[in-house]
Amino acid sequence: MADLAIDVTDLTKTYRTPLARRKVEALRGVSLTVEKGLVFGFVGPNGAGKTTLIRTLMGLIRPTTGTAKLLGHAVPSREARFKVGFLPESPYFYDYLTVGELLDLAGRLFGLSASVRKQRAGELIARVGLERAQTQSLKKFSKGMLQRAGLAQALMNDPELVVLDEPMSGLDPIGRKEVRDLIVELRDQGKTVFFSTHILSDVEAITDRVAIIARGQLQASGTPSELVQRTILGIDVMIRLPTETDSGELTTGADRVRRNGDELSLTLPADADVDTWISRAHAAGAKVMQIVPRHETLEDLFLRQVASADEPKEKTA
Amino acid sequence: MIGRIWAIALNTFREAARIRVLYGILVLVIGANLMAIVLGEMVTNEQARVARDVGITGISLFGSLTAIFLGVFLLYTEVQRRTIHAIVSKPIERWEFVVGKYLGMVLVLTVLVALFAVAMVAMLLIQQVGMSSAVLKAVVLAWFEVLTVAAIAIFFSSFSTPFMSGIFALTMWGLGRVTPDIEAASRDAAPWIRTLTKITLEIVPDLHLFAVSGRSINGEHVTVHADLVSWTYVAMASLHGLGWIVGLLAIAALLFHRRDFV
Repeated sequence: MADLAIDVTDLTKTYRTPLARRKVEALRGVSLTVEKGLVFGFVGPNGAGKTTLIRTLMGLIRPTTGTAKLLGHAVPSREARFKVGFLPESPYFYDYLTVGELLDLAGRLFGLSASVRKQRAGELIARVGLERAQTQSLKKFSKGMLQRAGLAQALMNDPELVVLDEPMSGLDPIGRKEVRDLIVELRDQGKTVFFSTHILSDVEAITDRVAIIARGQLQASGTPSELVQRTILGIDVMIRLPTETDSGELTTGADRVRRNGDELSLTLPADADVDTWISRAHAAGAKVMQIVPRHETLEDLFLRQVASADEPKEKTA
Repeated sequence: MIGRIWAIALNTFREAARIRVLYGILVLVIGANLMAIVLGEMVTNEQARVARDVGITGISLFGSLTAIFLGVFLLYTEVQRRTIHAIVSKPIERWEFVVGKYLGMVLVLTVLVALFAVAMVAMLLIQQVGMSSAVLKAVVLAWFEVLTVAAIAIFFSSFSTPFMSGIFALTMWGLGRVTPDIEAASRDAAPWIRTLTKITLEIVPDLHLFAVSGRSINGEHVTVHADLVSWTYVAMASLHGLGWIVGLLAIAALLFHRRDFV
C-alpha cells in the first residue's frame, strides 16, 4: 500500500438539487489505485465524473461515502497537499497578478522561503515558455498561456504527485505536445502524474495506465494494452486502381470504403479470405499498397464502455 | 500558519485596492468634509463642531458601508470565480483562508479609515482647530465598528449570496446601532414582544457602543466636541467588538469548512 500515490475505495458523491430536492449521483462507488511513478490517464466523456473525483481528491468536495488517500494520507489531508501539485480544470487565477506573482503566492502557501520561491518561479516560467509574458497581468493571457501558468503553479512545490484536470484543454497542437513532453519529463523525474482528459490520442501517447469513467462509474482500468482487445477486428487495405475500373466487386462486404482518384481504401471483415481478395484485385489491374490488420483502439474501447455504462439514478428525496 | 494567512491577506488587499468603487467612496468622504466647511460657515462659531460631526459620521457610515461591500463580495467571488480551487488545494486550512481574507479587509479598511481621518483632521486644521483626544477616541471607536461590520458581512458571505448577505449585514448593522432604542421601545410592549426583542438583541452586536457622541453613558452626557468617553471605555468597547469578530469569524470558518467547491 505504501507504493500507492492514489487509493480510492468505493467513493460516492450525491448532490441534491436545491429546489427540486432531486438527488444526482455524480460518483457511484468508484474504486481506483494509482501506483507511484506512473503516468495515469483518467478518461471519460463530459459529465462522467472526472472532475468530481479530482476535486474530491483535492479536498474541494466532501465525498458522500467512501474513502480516498493521497500518498498514504486520508483525504482531506494537509500533509498530502504539501506533496501534491494541482491544476484545476479551466483554471481561474487572480487576473491582476503576473505569472511571477502567482507563483510567489503559491510558494508562500507551501511555506517556501523567498529565495526558493524566486528561483523556482524563474525556472518554471522558463519551463512553460512564459518568459516573454512575465510583466503582463494574467488578465491579458490567452487560454493556453493561463494553462501554462496553471501548470507552473502546480509544480511550484516540486510535488511527488501531480494531479492535472484537463491539462491539454485550450492548447494548440504545439502546446499539447509540450504538455505531453512535460508529463513524460515529470515521470522520468520519478513523479506520479494523474491527469484527466477526453483526448484519447494524448492518453495513448504517454500513459502507463488508464481508467475509463462514464456516468459516475469506473468502467475499466489497466494498461492500454491490457484494456484493448488483441483480436483482429478487420483488415485495412489500400490499393491503387485504374480510375476507369469499377471497384464494385472488390468492395462487396467491406466497411469504410473510400475512393480518392485511383486510390481505394477499405476494411475487410476479420474473417475475409485475404489471398483470394488480393488475387481479384490483381486481376482487376490493382496494385496493393498496404494491408494492415486492425486491432481495437483505445477509442473503440472508450466508445464501447461509454455506450454500455448504466444511467445513474435520479431520485426525488 | 502566519505566513499562509499573511499571503492571503496581502493578496486580498491587492485585490480590494483594485476596486474602483473604493476610490469613489474616498472622494465622497473628502467631498463630505469639504461640505462640512461650507455648512460650518453657515452656522456662526460652529465650523469645528460640523467638521467633527461630519468627519466622524463619514468614517462610521462610509467605513461600514465599504466593509459590507467588501465583505459580501470578496469571499463570494473567490468561490464563484473558482480562484479558490487553486488556493485551498494547497496546504492551507480553510479557516486560515477565511481569517486571511478578513485580515486583508482589515488592511484595506484601516487604510480607508486613516484616509478619512486625515481628511477630517485636514479640514479641522484649515479651520485652525487642533486635534483633541475626544476626536481620536471617536476615530478609534468608529474604526472598531467598521471592523466588526466587516466580520458580520464576511460571516453572511460564508453561506449566502452577495445580495442576501448585503441585506442581512445592513439589517444587523442598523439594528446594532439602535439596540438601546429598541430595548426602550419594547419596555411597555406585550410580554412576547419583550421576549422576542430580548432574543433579537442577544444575537445582534451592540454597535451603538462605538457611536457614543451625543449619548448618555452612565448618566453622563458625552460628546466628541468636549469630553468623550474614557480610554477604558474605548478599550472595553473594542474588546466587545473583538469578541464579536472572533465569534463571527469562527462560525464563518466552520460553515466554510463544510462547503463543497464545485
